Amino acid sequence: MIKIQHEDIDVETVLESVKSPSSGGVVTFLGTVRDNAKGHNVEQMSIEVYEEMAYKQLEAIESEAQKKFGVHKITVVHRYGDLEVGDNIVFIAVAAGHRGEAFDACRYIIDELKQRVPIWKKETTPEGEIWVEGEKHE
Amino acid sequence: MEINVKYFGQFRDFTGKREESLEVADGITVEAIREHVRGIYPKIAAKEQVLVAVNGNFGSLDQVINESDKVAFFPPVSGG
Repeated sequence: MIKIQHEDIDVETVLESVKSPSSGGVVTFLGTVRDNAKGHNVEQMSIEVYEEMAYKQLEAIESEAQKKFGVHKITVVHRYGDLEVGDNIVFIAVAAGHRGEAFDACRYIIDELKQRVPIWKKETTPEGEIWVEGEKHE
Repeated sequence: MEINVKYFGQFRDFTGKREESLEVADGITVEAIREHVRGIYPKIAAKEQVLVAVNGNFGSLDQVINESDKVAFFPPVSGG
């Protein structure tokens, strides 16, 4: 399941929703707002999303991860809007039969998300606002 | 033909717009419309990477754009 929302992520509920009797484990990744980046302080963060495309890309990544690693259930929740230091940004939960494929799939999802899901961060710093430069798209 | 294009991330600051209509030649490719936009906005032209999405997918440079396509321009993504 893919969700893009402003409101905070209910981590417990997502975690419960991916569990199943045939799964032997759930691997999660929780991304949060850091108070520093590249040597400067970060006071706040604003996240912008091209929602229609982000859903399309995340759904593609979800089905790739399912095929590649044979995991059972995946949920990805990403937030947008104005966030404070320590706030949740993204939560990924992957349930699988065994830990190996769950770890691999979770890593694959966050790495692909950072490459191709149209979301941008703007940091508020003591020196002003800075758009975060994404990694070069391959 | 008229193509509706959207701008995201820093490109909204560069263009001062969320979207606009561009008059371009029929059969224009992703590569050519990117050059067109670089020609209008020097700040976009100065960026190393200008990504172009067509209908929610990253278009290949030789992909031909149709009037009804949803075209978007933005810098490398930084979510997660």
